[in-house]
Amino acid sequence: MMRDLHDIYVIARRELLERIKSKWFVAITLLGPIGMIAIIILPALFISRGEGTKVEIVDKTGVLAEPLKAALTQLRWKPEIVDPATPETREMDRIRDKQINGFLAVPADALDSGTVVYRGDNGASQLVQVLLRESIRLAIQVERGKREHIADATLLKLVAPPGFDAQQTDGKSAAAGAGSFWLGYAVAYVLLLVIMLYAVGVMRSVVQEKTSRVMELMVATIKPRSLMTGKILGVGLAGLIQVAVWLTMGAFTLAYRDQILGLFGATAGTGSLPSLAFGEIAVSLAFFFAGYFFYASMYAAVGAMVSSEQDTQQVQMPITVLLIVGFACMTVVSSDPRGSMATLVTMLPCWSPLLMPMRYLLGGAGVGEVAISLVILIASTVLIARAAAKIYRVGVLMYGKRPGLGELVRWLRY
Amino acid sequence: MTGTSRMAATALVVRNVVKVFGNHRAVDDVSFEVPRGVVYGILGPNGAGKSTTLRMINDIYAPDAGEIVVLDGLRPGLEAAQRIGYLPEERGLYPKMKVADMIELIGELRGLARAEARRRAQRWLDRLGLAQWAGNKVQDLSKGMQQKVQFATALIHEPELVILDEPWSGLDPINAEVLREVVEEIRAAGRTVLFSTHQMEQAEKLVDRICIIARGQKLLEGSLSEIKRRAAADGLISLGFVDAAARAAAEPVLADRALVAEQRAPRAAELADCEVVLAGGATSSQLLAALLAAAATLRRFELVVPTLHQIFVERVGESAAVAERRPEAE
Repeated sequence: MMRDLHDIYVIARRELLERIKSKWFVAITLLGPIGMIAIIILPALFISRGEGTKVEIVDKTGVLAEPLKAALTQLRWKPEIVDPATPETREMDRIRDKQINGFLAVPADALDSGTVVYRGDNGASQLVQVLLRESIRLAIQVERGKREHIADATLLKLVAPPGFDAQQTDGKSAAAGAGSFWLGYAVAYVLLLVIMLYAVGVMRSVVQEKTSRVMELMVATIKPRSLMTGKILGVGLAGLIQVAVWLTMGAFTLAYRDQILGLFGATAGTGSLPSLAFGEIAVSLAFFFAGYFFYASMYAAVGAMVSSEQDTQQVQMPITVLLIVGFACMTVVSSDPRGSMATLVTMLPCWSPLLMPMRYLLGGAGVGEVAISLVILIASTVLIARAAAKIYRVGVLMYGKRPGLGELVRWLRY
Repeated sequence: MTGTSRMAATALVVRNVVKVFGNHRAVDDVSFEVPRGVVYGILGPNGAGKSTTLRMINDIYAPDAGEIVVLDGLRPGLEAAQRIGYLPEERGLYPKMKVADMIELIGELRGLARAEARRRAQRWLDRLGLAQWAGNKVQDLSKGMQQKVQFATALIHEPELVILDEPWSGLDPINAEVLREVVEEIRAAGRTVLFSTHQMEQAEKLVDRICIIARGQKLLEGSLSEIKRRAAADGLISLGFVDAAARAAAEPVLADRALVAEQRAPRAAELADCEVVLAGGATSSQLLAALLAAAATLRRFELVVPTLHQIFVERVGESAAVAERRPEAE
């Protein structure tokens, strides 16, 4: 037993060192956060609020032009009021000549039933539509109020936007609905990423041992199970270091988001991470680690079955499909976290690591269910790891064709 | 001899071992014993089951039947692995590891403390003339140098039993000589070497005992000198005649089944005209007397001591000596 632990440690150390010493690892670890910062900054830079849009207002009501100009100026647009008698053809010409982006045609009956029309080279933009609609709605509501002789103070109260928030709760504790969903989604997404990057890395590492033919030496020296366990631990630890660096830098980026965005001249939108209770962190981490081991064992077995990197493509397909289906089942859990379908998919070991954290965060599962699901996951991980070690032991020295199903079953009995 | 003292004198016992792959019997009821302190060669053509046997001793495969006892009554496995050094048929190292780290890794897994493994790795690199490469990656080395690194991984923990699978394949003559010296040293230190090969010339210089296997079955086992003496006594005689007339005169004698069991073409055609195998009960002096009586004037009359190669080809058969398909690769 001590011997096994020693061997697992030596193998894990080797795998870890080989990874973290490689230039790629250092590059990706350091460049990852830059990518994350870019993800936050680029949208803020590109999805601007239409600043500088040149708009002309052709107002036949005589009252809406000024408030509209004020509202759009506040959005840093460049609105101009033109003669109400200006013909549409002239404005179209100006758009064609790129003198303006577009114009608002406000009909004389706009305060009653008329339709305000915007024509412009950015007329299809969702953002432009939303901003204009809101500005026009506010201006018209205010003017209607004035026409009805409602006092300004009263009017402001009438048009003030209502407050609204939706919350998910089980009646015991209140949790922010959208926040929990996004958090569960983030946990599943990070796990999926880690499985894709590192559990697959275990498979690649096994295949490389076969292609470099070092495998025979290794299985003669230590138990295949120690070799596999050490490999999964070492590769996983390298991944953990990388993810930890990313999360730390990500948290740092979020905390100083405004300052960082400020450096690039962009402003932040609203929204912040919900705070997490200890239990929620514990459940997320437990499923995260168990899920990694589960899939890493599966990928190790796949690596042991094939003899070249090309072959892995086909053999790992079932696992990839399993992951994608699991990820797609997220909507099952989020739409009805307490439903029987959600219960089923969070009990299956192949999907529970992706889905159970979200279900727990959404209040769909109690501690008992979480515990049962985790026990199922760990037990099946042990079974798969044992089977994988056996396939490994026999499969590692098979260089020719891929084994059939019957042959695999035979290997499990060696 | 009591059980324990016999055990202590034996490095390895392979008893009635069988290994089947699919419907192919790769190793079919093979038994042999390797005494301590000897160099033991498993000889056989490709696909004979040599590597499979060595893999079973190293616990890579489990035998389907029979038993294997290593050193002091151990079964193949982790405990035995600490006292065995192994050069596998599949040569391979971690290509991205530094040469010294690679040797150290195996030393550590074979039971050495890390610092000790490091020290010995350095010593082996010095010994094999690779000291200047210690910090290079394995993949930067030539094939021959990688092979030497591989030897170091098999020897770093000073194992009591060293198992070398086809150690000469891929070695140039100079490195083959280095390997021979190393094997001699191990024997001089009272440790045991078991190797497999189909290169009889190399084996003949080193082995104390041999076991010839072909198609999974043992054909012959014993000490090399004994086997050679027995083969010479089998009565193979090389004959040369002064001229064609003498040869013709000898024909009736050679056709006498009471004297000669078999006549065949000579192996060294420039020296001899034919080789004959004495019939059971006949002696070489009877044959000589008969030939002289028939006036068949001799230029050459020699009791042949066969080389290991000849014994091998004789036992295995010319056809089986050529490469067969590799059942392990199935």
